[in-house]
Amino acid sequence: MKKVAIPIAICVIGLALTALSFMGIKQSDADDIDISIDKTSFIMPAAHRVYANPDAMDGKYYLFKAKITNNSSETLEDVTVKYRIPNYIDWTELTVSGEMFPGQTLVVPCYPKFKNDITEKTTESIEKTEIEISWDGAEDDDIIEEDFTFKFTNRNEYVYTGIKSEEISSWADMYDNDALIACFVTPNDPVVKYYTQNLQEKLLKGEAASITRKPEDAVRFLAGIYEATRKSHMVYSGTKGIPKSTEDVQSIVQQVRLPREVITGNTGLCIELSCLYASVLSSAGIDPIIYMVPGHAYPGFRMNGQYYAIEATGIGGEGMGGISSVEDAYKQGQKQLQEFMQRAQAGDPRYTLVDIHNVNAQGVTSMDLKDNDFMRKKVDEIVASWSGGQQVQPNNPKNNNIRIPDNRIRTSNNALSFSIPTGWQTMMRPVPQMPIMTAQVIAPDQMTTVTIYDVPVSNVQQAMATVNQYLSGYGMEVQYQINGNTLAGQTYSANGNFNWIGKSLMKQNGIRIVAVGAPDYLYNQNSGIINQVYNSIK
Amino acid sequence: MKTITKLILSFALPFSGMITAQSQQKIEMRIDSIGNAKLNISMTMNAQEWQIWNGNYGNNPSALKRDIERGMPAYFLDDFKLEKDDMNRSYNLSLNAYGVCEINKRGKWMVDTEQKNAQLTELADNKYMLVSSPPEYGGNLQQTYIIELPQDAKNIKIDKDAFGKSVFEFDMEPPSSGFNMMRWAGILLIVIGGGWARKNAFSKK
Repeated sequence: MKKVAIPIAICVIGLALTALSFMGIKQSDADDIDISIDKTSFIMPAAHRVYANPDAMDGKYYLFKAKITNNSSETLEDVTVKYRIPNYIDWTELTVSGEMFPGQTLVVPCYPKFKNDITEKTTESIEKTEIEISWDGAEDDDIIEEDFTFKFTNRNEYVYTGIKSEEISSWADMYDNDALIACFVTPNDPVVKYYTQNLQEKLLKGEAASITRKPEDAVRFLAGIYEATRKSHMVYSGTKGIPKSTEDVQSIVQQVRLPREVITGNTGLCIELSCLYASVLSSAGIDPIIYMVPGHAYPGFRMNGQYYAIEATGIGGEGMGGISSVEDAYKQGQKQLQEFMQRAQAGDPRYTLVDIHNVNAQGVTSMDLKDNDFMRKKVDEIVASWSGGQQVQPNNPKNNNIRIPDNRIRTSNNALSFSIPTGWQTMMRPVPQMPIMTAQVIAPDQMTTVTIYDVPVSNVQQAMATVNQYLSGYGMEVQYQINGNTLAGQTYSANGNFNWIGKSLMKQNGIRIVAVGAPDYLYNQNSGIINQVYNSIK
Repeated sequence: MKTITKLILSFALPFSGMITAQSQQKIEMRIDSIGNAKLNISMTMNAQEWQIWNGNYGNNPSALKRDIERGMPAYFLDDFKLEKDDMNRSYNLSLNAYGVCEINKRGKWMVDTEQKNAQLTELADNKYMLVSSPPEYGGNLQQTYIIELPQDAKNIKIDKDAFGKSVFEFDMEPPSSGFNMMRWAGILLIVIGGGWARKNAFSKK
């Protein structure tokens, strides 16, 4: 009997193990899921739109990315990843993977969408991100919770690089975030727009550089900005600014006053003045450039493939022993630009430029800023200083409602109405050679436009074909889609692409097309106002 | 933001201004049965390009690794291996990319190409070729992608996502569950115990 006892015992153990192996098929638990989090160490509120856009800079700016590997022997279903940043973002679901096979890895990047009021954050803080990973059938105990902290800078803080200081080996590493300076260029800020409008109207008595595309007109505008800052006694207030060397880790982070703060505070650093110039230039429809060199930055623009620059800090200040004339500032800027080009062409990585509209097209767009009456009043005071102390009457900020007559025949059936913000200019029959173009309404940025075509045909397709035919004479081509009375399309030309949406309206003797849009690099930025105008078309 | 056609772009960036004649870059991507990919990138350069590439990356592979990782934020990468052939001015880089494809809510495997109307050529049942000329290089760089989907992939379709970009969509069964040690140990013990007991029982007789 004893001889059989041991083998039987072995059999029993074998049976027990076999049974356990089946009983042991349990729902996967947290221990079976391997998590690895790659996190950012800081977030800049100024770049909130960049962080929210997975396509911006090819997705380079994420809050974190999670690598989740299913090490269990079971297929997990509906794997859900969600996160929150207390006080800023509520629980938000990032992804749901239908199934996750044994051994499979899921990579989930997180592009956080902060509320627009994040740009009012004026203090730095340390915040926590909480992540929760769950799946179908997971018990409460199995839900995986991870968290990490990051530095949430204030809205003015600009971090030159996201690369750890011990890893920085080249100038390119030092300027890794250079594209993000475009977030501090705020052409859509109502205060900057107001300043630009006043500059165009009161100081320059009209300018059309973005329309004529003549460099001399653009240089006149650039000089006008310098004159505006000089006449308002704006001063250069320098602190440690642009990094001077790769060892200069102290200046990797810099406080950058926003253009509206530079205007109203009447003082700025080189990088701040560059952002102000770039904002005003962009607001006027000119392609702004910021040139970055060791220890300094200066603004300029690009037109017809040529680059131009001005030394914005020439305003100096009485306390600094001198103020350059606009001619000298421009001469100095061009001299620096010549050196810049020589160095850049020789491959010196310390000489870089940021083409603001180019990086805008890559998803690096300006921060959202609200209108501010106090700042507008400050702008009025500054504008008064240009014109010898005369107070300028502020414009009525309320929207207006324009009515455009139909072929100059006003009838209640044919009248067109849509709501546009104050400051937009209406031009009747702007192109005499194109009789079908009844009117054009242009935003102060000279970029966002509403165009009204009246085409004496019987249907929308014919109307669009006629419009296309006329535009082709100007080297433009229209591609569009029609859905009911709604139109959407792009107009291609040598000067770039123009995105638009529109409506077709039946009228007594033809079709009316009303299209509202902006150049492709500005369309997303201006989509709010474009949609507002579009929705008001009646 | 899962993309395969932009994977290696950052890798070519350092000499973007130096390309004069059209350069060729070959990228092979082999996706396994759990959605991870093995990437192989090879390129031959002219003397000037080779000098600059070496200055930036060839002599500093850690910078190469870091820049590729930063240029491919949608993935986790590891196992970088760089082989240089100085005599022929060419390199071969291999690496692993995790989570290249994922399963959507309908249970379909998806791989994004990040290209609108990608001109994909079917080389074999599971093998496709995509030729791309990134606008960043003004048409002077031609990238040839060979994309090999898993052998078990079935019903492969090239579809479009919400943004009109081409995506691979296919069905694939889960890989067979792994070896259950406990179960096999139990069966083994039953067999041994049973055999032993039988032997003892017979020897008793």
